[in-house]
Amino acid sequence: MTADKNPDLAAEAAENRKARLRGMIFQAGPLIALVLLMAYLSFASENFLTFDNLSNVARQSAFVAILAVGQTYVILTGGIDLSVAAISALAASIAAVLLTQPLVLFGMDFGYVPVPLAVLIGLCVGIVAGGLNGWLISRFQIPDFIATLGTMTAFRGAALLVTDGLPVPSFNAGRQLPEWLIWLGGGQIFGVPVSALIALVCALAGWYVLRFTTLGRAIYAVGGNRAAAHSAGISIARTKIMTYAISGLLAAIAGIILVGRLNSANALMAEGEELRSIASVVIGGTNLFGGEGGVWGSIIGAAIIGVLGNGLNLLDVSPFWQRIAQGVVIVVVVIFDQWRRRTMTRV
Amino acid sequence: MEEYEILLKLDRIEKRFPGVLALKSISLDVRAGEVQVLLGENGAGKSTLMKILAGEHEPTGGTIEVAGRRVSGLTPTLATELGIGLVHQELSLVPALSVTENIFLGRMPTGAFGRIDWKKAHADARHALEALGVAIDPTAEVRTLEVAEQQLIEITRALERGPRILLLDEPTSALSDSERSRLFDVIRLLKQRGHGIIYISHHLSEIPMIADRVTVLRDGIVVDTLPAAEADEETVISLMVGRQLAEQFPKRTVTLGSPALAAEHLAAGHALKDLSFTLHRGEILGVYGLMGAGQAEIAGALFGLQPARAGTISVNGAPVHFRSSADAIAAGLGLLSRDRRQSLVPMQPIGPNISLSWLAGKSLLSRLDLPREREESTRYVADLRIRPASTTHNLFFYSGGNQQKVILARWMSSGASILIFDEPTRGIDVGAKAEVFAVMSRLVAEGASILMISSELNELIGMADRVLVLRGGRISAELPRAEITQENLLRYAS
Ligand SMILES: Nc1ncnc2c1ncn2[C@@H]1O[C@H](COP(=O)(O)OP(=O)(O)OP(=O)(O)O)[C@@H](O)[C@H]1O
Ligand SMILES: [Mg+2]
Repeated sequence: MTADKNPDLAAEAAENRKARLRGMIFQAGPLIALVLLMAYLSFASENFLTFDNLSNVARQSAFVAILAVGQTYVILTGGIDLSVAAISALAASIAAVLLTQPLVLFGMDFGYVPVPLAVLIGLCVGIVAGGLNGWLISRFQIPDFIATLGTMTAFRGAALLVTDGLPVPSFNAGRQLPEWLIWLGGGQIFGVPVSALIALVCALAGWYVLRFTTLGRAIYAVGGNRAAAHSAGISIARTKIMTYAISGLLAAIAGIILVGRLNSANALMAEGEELRSIASVVIGGTNLFGGEGGVWGSIIGAAIIGVLGNGLNLLDVSPFWQRIAQGVVIVVVVIFDQWRRRTMTRV
Repeated sequence: MEEYEILLKLDRIEKRFPGVLALKSISLDVRAGEVQVLLGENGAGKSTLMKILAGEHEPTGGTIEVAGRRVSGLTPTLATELGIGLVHQELSLVPALSVTENIFLGRMPTGAFGRIDWKKAHADARHALEALGVAIDPTAEVRTLEVAEQQLIEITRALERGPRILLLDEPTSALSDSERSRLFDVIRLLKQRGHGIIYISHHLSEIPMIADRVTVLRDGIVVDTLPAAEADEETVISLMVGRQLAEQFPKRTVTLGSPALAAEHLAAGHALKDLSFTLHRGEILGVYGLMGAGQAEIAGALFGLQPARAGTISVNGAPVHFRSSADAIAAGLGLLSRDRRQSLVPMQPIGPNISLSWLAGKSLLSRLDLPREREESTRYVADLRIRPASTTHNLFFYSGGNQQKVILARWMSSGASILIFDEPTRGIDVGAKAEVFAVMSRLVAEGASILMISSELNELIGMADRVLVLRGGRISAELPRAEITQENLLRYAS
C-alpha cells in the first residue's frame, strides 16, 4: 500500500511542478520572445549586439513605450485610445510654438512665455485632451473607438491650426529650443539614452499606480466586470476620465521629448504611432477586452517592435517587407496569446 | 442481483488543471430510469465532472462509456449527438437574445429558403416552457428576466433537445418551492421514459423527493454511492465533509435597536408594486416570495441601481434618495446581488475581489490598504472555508460556491451597517452555510441589520427575526419569529 503510494505522490508533485513551470513560461511569453529575437539577431548581424546599436534602439523605442504605458491603462478599462499620437503632436506643437515664438493672442503681443511655463502648458494640453476623451465616452456613452477616432482627427486639426501647418521652429524663428530639451530627447547618461530612462520612470510610475492605488483597482474592476465595479460604488465615469487623462499626459510627455530628439515639431509628427502603441500593449499580453494585463508587458511589447524594426534594417530587409513582417508578428503573437488563454482556462 | 440498463459509465476519470488536481479518480454509472443525486462540498469537483461529460473539458485520464460504447475525444457537439444534455450551474444564456433564440440556439426552425419561421419558433418556445409550467414571454430579451426565470430557460433549453442523459448542475439554486416541484414533475416523467439523470444540489432536503441513488464526492474522489433510502441527512453530511457539523443555524437573539432602513410604498420594475417595511438595528428581516412576486426587484431599488417607480426610502430615520450605488454605500448600505456574475471580477484573485467594496467613496489617488486586504482575505478564507485557499488564483477558476463565498466576504468585511443579502447562500454547501450564518449572527450582534431575501424556507425559519411574505408584488403577510413556519410561508406566498 505505502509502497505504491510514494511513487504516486512523487509523480503528482512532478506533474504539479511541470504545470507551474508551464504557467510561468506562459506568463513570461513576451519576455522569452524578446530574448529569442535578440539572440537570433546577435547571430544574424554582427552590428546588432553593440552598445551603440542597442542604445539607438532604446532611444527610438522610448516614444512608443511611453505611449504604450498610457494605452495599457486605457485598454485595461476595456477601452482603446486612437488619439494618443495626435495628442502627442498637439501638445508638442503648442509647447514648441510657445518655446520659440512670442505669444500673440487676439492681436495682443504677450512676449515670450517663460520656458518652464511653456512645457507645463504642453503637458496640461495632454491632460485636458485626454480628459476630454474620457468625458465624451462616459457622458455620451459613445464607444471608445469612435470617440477617440473623432478626437484623433480633431486634435491633428488643432495642431495644424497652432503651427499654421509649418514645422516649428520655422526658419525665421526668434528663440531656439532650450538645450535641456534637446538633451532629454537625444542626450545620454553613461551611454544610456535619457529618453529611455524617462520611459522607464513612466513605466515605474504606471506600475505603482496600478498596483497600489484605488485608481489601479478601479481600472481592473471596470475592465474586468463593469457591472461589478458599478454596484460596488466605483464611478465608471471618473475612472474613465482619469484613465484617459493619464494616457493624454503620457502622450504629451512623449511628444515633448520627441521635439527634443527631432529638434523640431510639426502637426503631423508621430503619425501612425497610436497603432504601434496598441500593438505593444497587445503583444505584451494585456487583454484587449480589458481587466487583465499590466505595464511591463507593454514595455516589452514596445521593445519587441523596436528590436524587430532595427534588426530588419540591419539585415537590409526592404522597408516594404519590414511592414509585412511587423504585421505578421502582431498577428502571430495575438494568436499565441489566445491559445495561451484557452489552455489556461479550458484544457 | 437485478439487471439495469447502464446508460453511462465512468471509469477512473481524472482531471488536472494547471497546478490543481480537480478530479482524482471518479468511477460511477448512471442507470436508465434513475435520478442519481451528486453531492459534495464546494470545490469537490461536481461541475468539473459535468463539464467533462458535456465535452467542455477534456479529462486527463480514465474512460467514458455511453450506452456500452467507449467514447473518446468528447466535444460539445458529440455529447449532444450522444444524447447528453447539461444544465450549467453558471447560467450560459446569451443576454441580448430573446428567450426563443436562446432555447433554440443554432437550431431555429426554418421555412422556405432557410428563413427563420419566427411564428413557429415562438410557439414552440412557449410550448416548451409550458412543460415546466412557466409563462415567460418568448419574445422577451433574456437580460430583462430575473435569475429564476433564466434558470428555467436554461433547463428548458436542455430538455428541448430530448437528452437521454440529463445532467442538472444545481438547477434549483435560484428557484422557489413551486417552480421546483414542477421541475421535479418533469424529471419524474423523464425517469419513467427511461432517461438517466444526474442531479447536483446542495439542498439535502431534495434527496427524498427525487433521488434513487446518491453519490458523494470529496476532493475529487467518490466517497460512496448509496441507495436513497439509506441517504439520510446525517449520513450524507458526514460523508461529504468528513466531520460532525456544528449547529446549522447559530441564531443569536439580539435586542432590536432603532430603525435602520425603512421603505414606504416602494414600487419598482414591473413586479414590485407596494412594499413598506422597517428594518431595525440588530435585526435579520427575511423576505420570501415565489418567482415573480417582486422580491427580485427590492435590492436594486433600495440600492439605487434601478430607479424606484414610487415610494420613499429612509436610512436611520432620514429620507434618502440614492442616484447610484455609490450614494447607497456612502449611507452605509451593502448589497449582495442574487446574480453573482454581476459581482465578480473574474480575472482578479480573492484579495481585490473582497476589497472592492472598500473603494467606494475613496479618492482615486488614495493608497490601497494592502495589509488589511491580506488580513481579511486570510480571515474569510478560514471563516467561510473558501477553497482553494490560494491567494494567487483568479476567481475565474474557483468553483461556483466558493465564488459566492468571496462575494459574501466582500460585503461582510465592508463595514456596511445595513446589508441587503439577496439569496446569500446560493450554491454554498451545507458545511459552509453554517459558517455564513454564524458570521451573519455576529454582524447583527455587532449592531448591523440584514435584509435577507431568500427562496430557502429553512434558512428563513432558522435565521430570520421576522419574515415579509410577498405575493403579486405586495406584502401578503408579516410573520413574527414564532410564526415563521413552512406552512405559513407557503400559504401566504401562493
Ligand atoms: N479552469 C480551471 N482551472 C483551474 N482550476 C479549476 C478550473 N475549474 C475548476 N477548478 C478547480 O477544480 C476544483 C473543482 O471545482 P468544481 O467547479 O468542479 O467544484 P464543484 O464541486 O462544482 O463546487 P460548487 O459546489 O462550489 O459548485 C476547484 O478546486 C476549482 O478551483
Ligand atoms: Mg459547481
